[in-house]
Amino acid sequence: MGKMLDRAFLAVLLAVLLAVPGWVALRSHRETTAYYENRTLAERPALTWTSLADGSFGSAFESWYSDHFPGRATLLKMDTKVQMDVLKRPVVNDTVVTERALLPFMAYEEQSPEEYARQAADIAEDLGELDAHIRANGGSFYYVGIPEQRVYFGEQYPGFLASHAGEYQTADDAFAAALAGQNVRFLDMRQVYEDLGNPAEYYSAVDHHYNYYGAYAAYRAILDTMAADGWQLPVLTEEDLDFVELPNPYIGSRNRKLYNLWPNGEKAVMGVQKAPVAFTRTDNGQPSEKPLFVLPAAADLPTTYNLYMGGDFGETVLETGRPELPDALIFGDSFTNALETLLYASFDETRILDLRHYTDKSLKDYVAEYRPDLVLCVQNDTFYYTTTGNGAVWASFP
Amino acid sequence: MAFSSMAFLFGFLPLCLLCCFLMPARLRTGRNAVLLLFSLFFYAWGGLRLLPVLLTSCLATWAAGLLAAPGRKRRKAALLAALVLELGMLGYFKYTGFLLGNLKALGLDVPVPAIVLPAGISFFIFQAVSYLTDVYRGTVPPEKSLFRLTLYMAFFPQLLQGPIVRYGDFAPALTDRRENSADAAAGAVRFCFGLAKKVLLADALGQIADGAFAAGDRLTVALAWLGAIAYTLQLYFDFSGYTDMALGLGRVFGFCLPENFNYPYVSRSAAEFWRRWHITLSFWFRDYVYIPLGGNRCSKGRQVCNLLAVWLLTGLWHGSAWNFVLWGLYYALLLMGERFLWGQALDRLPAALRHLYALFLITMGWVLFRCTSLAQVGEMVSALFGFAPGGAWSGEALYDLCQFRWELLAAIPAALPVKNWLQGRLAAKRARGSRTAALALALAPKALAVLLLGLSAVRLLSSTFRSFLYFQF
Repeated sequence: MGKMLDRAFLAVLLAVLLAVPGWVALRSHRETTAYYENRTLAERPALTWTSLADGSFGSAFESWYSDHFPGRATLLKMDTKVQMDVLKRPVVNDTVVTERALLPFMAYEEQSPEEYARQAADIAEDLGELDAHIRANGGSFYYVGIPEQRVYFGEQYPGFLASHAGEYQTADDAFAAALAGQNVRFLDMRQVYEDLGNPAEYYSAVDHHYNYYGAYAAYRAILDTMAADGWQLPVLTEEDLDFVELPNPYIGSRNRKLYNLWPNGEKAVMGVQKAPVAFTRTDNGQPSEKPLFVLPAAADLPTTYNLYMGGDFGETVLETGRPELPDALIFGDSFTNALETLLYASFDETRILDLRHYTDKSLKDYVAEYRPDLVLCVQNDTFYYTTTGNGAVWASFP
Repeated sequence: MAFSSMAFLFGFLPLCLLCCFLMPARLRTGRNAVLLLFSLFFYAWGGLRLLPVLLTSCLATWAAGLLAAPGRKRRKAALLAALVLELGMLGYFKYTGFLLGNLKALGLDVPVPAIVLPAGISFFIFQAVSYLTDVYRGTVPPEKSLFRLTLYMAFFPQLLQGPIVRYGDFAPALTDRRENSADAAAGAVRFCFGLAKKVLLADALGQIADGAFAAGDRLTVALAWLGAIAYTLQLYFDFSGYTDMALGLGRVFGFCLPENFNYPYVSRSAAEFWRRWHITLSFWFRDYVYIPLGGNRCSKGRQVCNLLAVWLLTGLWHGSAWNFVLWGLYYALLLMGERFLWGQALDRLPAALRHLYALFLITMGWVLFRCTSLAQVGEMVSALFGFAPGGAWSGEALYDLCQFRWELLAAIPAALPVKNWLQGRLAAKRARGSRTAALALALAPKALAVLLLGLSAVRLLSSTFRSFLYFQF
């Protein structure tokens, strides 16, 4: 019996070990992306003398082989479930699992206040240059800072994890002070939300963005700020909108890292105008039929934050054909997307740039060419100190 | 290629097994040829440019072995020339940067070249030295076949991290081994257990250690202790896991490689620890350095010098940095202390206290080993003794305890001879006629091995590939 058992055991092991390369050889070309990891799967490396000689072929092959392991996504999903529900780890796939929200795991290192002040001064100098450039071209500039979800729900972090609440406050204060030193108009939505009592429904528990209610509050705060500066712009009040909750399951970026396994009933919300302001749309220079809210094909299909405006584009132009209204330029990160569905209704032409993707011309050239009346930079506060993408406001690229 | 890589587990290994075992057992040379080809491929996977170093060492060892055998003229010169070449290669690849870096630090204007260290060089050079010395001493005959000698030097299960195999132990299996399903199954089980030690335990514990040793100003007393203990466990599971895999694979292919670990953390003294940790290296230094220097059979002063020399070399063998020198000297002092000063008093202490004594000193030793500079040694040791920049306790320590609680809990029984105890109990019950015990002994290890292989594969998929700690040596 012992011999039989040994042979059976060896046969099972060998079969498992051989099944994997067989599967990879036959099926590896079928999948090219890992949806839940939000990345492209590694491609099979090319065999060259150089890569063989320096060993880089081996490491590239390992990446490709691991990426195309049979049932990889299913196995990782099961592993995530075990880590989260059986082993009850506080952090799974770099995501902090709390009772009320999913948050990113943050390293414990902190940057000194002096370093923040130094960096803030440099960045504010660029923003000051941009502000002067916009004024010289007949416009006004507003910088809108929006707290990221991890900052908004900072108190949800367990005490033993780094929420960096104090550090963020220091960083935000240094940034605001530096902008004030350059006379740049700064709307700090963190303060606005705090004054409103930081309502939980303003932010997603499963995504790093705010949800539509938070976006609407930001929209109103922006228009209130402009009105205080003398701009008479049409406003979409709550009575002008129907806040519609989509039936589709909502996959937030945080829960996506957990294979959408964290139980929650969160749904995406959209503000449908009762009397819609008509518009024509251009994306990256091409006419587009995309609506403000890009819905999934069926009610059971999941939706994401890309619902708003269909996600990030390098350049989007919305024309409402109302020349009596000013023109606007909005640039910034994905927090602009939900805002755009509201803000465009206040302008004749709304140009939207995401400088992470837009590469045709520099922002200063863009301003000089289109001479918008109002320029809004919308950034989440974790991007305040970024000097690339939407932080490269005074770069001469290309 | 690392054992804990997908390419090895689900590519190289099954292919090698198929090629080897599809060849009839009577074609022993054919099976050896398959093993040699796969071994060279295994080594070249990390970079073809480093293969000539291994092949040069094999060729030189083979030729020098023939010339240094008893009865040959100028055999001493042949031995010395080969040792100079072998140790010269080791010195060039491993210590040039260290030496020139120190000269530069002293103010000399010398360039410090970035030399890529061939993986496993310390291991295969030490095997070469042991073979040449044994041939010179006449304890083993010289190997006439370059093919067989190269397989001894490059046999992939032990090529990169040992154990350091003596030719006298390895050679008989080259011609006379008999592979069978019982050995193969036992080897496969051991391989899976070793893989799990590395992937499920060592890599997780390594995250605690990495965080603690990189904490800098955030270092607290609790974090320092947690990091030191985690590193102590990580190193054991990493290295003994690799050894289990090596021994398991060796057994699958019909080779009986020497044990390298014997539950070192149950030791009750530093001397006992080194009889249980990296056994083949300890024996190598004993047989090829310590005893030739005079060993114990000389004056106390000479013994002290011998111990210092051996432990300085042991430290440097592990790495070309001052902290390794310090670590070696630390053990030299401990072993001298136990031999000449407090050894007898230690023997009279209760066993529990002796375990604590040994564990404390071993952990301190690993702190020296893990630190990357003498300044960091000072910071870590200060923190362990209560003088930490971050105070006594931090959330980071609690996070490590919560996040890795399962690994910490599993690590303790896994580092102790619990498995042996369980097997002994079941074997005793089986001897008394218990069918359940017989079934458990036959089935449980295999079922657990399959489970651990699956869990390890999933963990490997979900984590970034990590190389073994001992690759750097």
